[in-house]
Amino acid sequence: MQEKSPILAKNQGFIVAVQNNDTQVLKNLYVTNYPKIEILVLKNNGSKDQAKDIYQDAFLAVWQNIKQNKFVPKSESSINGYLYTIAKNKWLDVLRSQGYKKTIVASQLNHFEIKDEENNNIDDDILKDKRLEDVMLAFKNLGQACKSLLRKFYFEKKSMNLIAEELALDSASTRNKKYRCMQKLREIALKNN
Amino acid sequence: MNLNNISQKEFERIEAYLNGLLLDDDLTAFENILKKEDGFKAKVEDIKTVLTGIETQVLKEQLDIFHKDIEQTSNDNVSTDIKVRTLHWKKIAVAAALIIAAGSFWLISGDSNERLYSQYFTPDPGLPTTMSSTNNYEFYDAMVNYKQGDYKTAISKWEVLQKAKPNNDTINYFIGVAHLANKNEETAISFLENSIKNDEFPLVNDAYYYLGLAYLKEGNLEKAKANFKHSNIDNSKALLSKLND
Repeated sequence: MQEKSPILAKNQGFIVAVQNNDTQVLKNLYVTNYPKIEILVLKNNGSKDQAKDIYQDAFLAVWQNIKQNKFVPKSESSINGYLYTIAKNKWLDVLRSQGYKKTIVASQLNHFEIKDEENNNIDDDILKDKRLEDVMLAFKNLGQACKSLLRKFYFEKKSMNLIAEELALDSASTRNKKYRCMQKLREIALKNN
Repeated sequence: MNLNNISQKEFERIEAYLNGLLLDDDLTAFENILKKEDGFKAKVEDIKTVLTGIETQVLKEQLDIFHKDIEQTSNDNVSTDIKVRTLHWKKIAVAAALIIAAGSFWLISGDSNERLYSQYFTPDPGLPTTMSSTNNYEFYDAMVNYKQGDYKTAISKWEVLQKAKPNNDTINYFIGVAHLANKNEETAISFLENSIKNDEFPLVNDAYYYLGLAYLKEGNLEKAKANFKHSNIDNSKALLSKLND
């Protein structure tokens, strides 16, 4: 039987870590790639706050694309390039938007000569969905207890038994609690609508 | 249809389906309902969106925490920087007081060279990185690192360009001053020596000045003076007269 090459195995481990929201891996990815984006935005009429917002949007889109297998990175460095391209596109969208048009001369955007074929396969709109945005906002405003519980289940992906143990509850009560938190979240999200 | 109307049992079943945990008969049964029951598909889609929304919002909040770390690190750098500078000032003040008190102007030791150096040395401010300089993207990209005080990155980027154009005065000059700012006089000297080969170089006076400073830091007073002599900027003249005193 043929064994997997160590590089491929390492890379798959990385993808799985991203998909499972491994905090250390995500943090490394976040911290390593931010400076380049900040430079890009600062050099192109943006502020640090704008750099942060654009970067976080791009980061979430990349993470979601990896989770949904819409982007399968060949290596860690290909993620870095992909993240940069998405952030660059997003910043370009901002620059093209109405507010910026008046202040920027077209020739100032020369760094952004992006070839179309480079971007055809990139989906950075994965999180642009009204319902999703409503849910995110609702979760932001959800009570702390529910937030913490849902976080353990859906982000940290802890097992039911472990969470029950942490809460000093039996598994049936934990499941019920989770259901009630979900109901509450969906209720708030609908109200926002 | 009221999407919100869902029992705990139904919710858990949908969740199990979305997580790929329904098997065999359970899965077939579920898929049948999905096909046949009006609105059920929408319900499943909605739960899927809710689960994605939770996960995304948690990560979004997490990113802010990651970001604070970045800000913290850069603030730390700035405050050490300030501390180091204040320290330098204190050193200079104390040193100056001592020298005056002792009246020992005759002593030009290695130490006083260092003092003189730190009194005069400030890194070259660099070139403005405007967007109009598009044909030299890599060069100005490194300039941004240089201006941020990230000399190491700037040097590594410029060195790539320098390999392609080993005699380019501007590139040699900035690699040199970056090394000097990075407290690496010896390497700085070789690049700065390269940069002054061209008399027409617009920054040649600065190049001689920094080259003089590098030699001063190394304790090579003869070469320091020789280079200050070639430079017409005020600091060079001032240093030259101090060294000749």
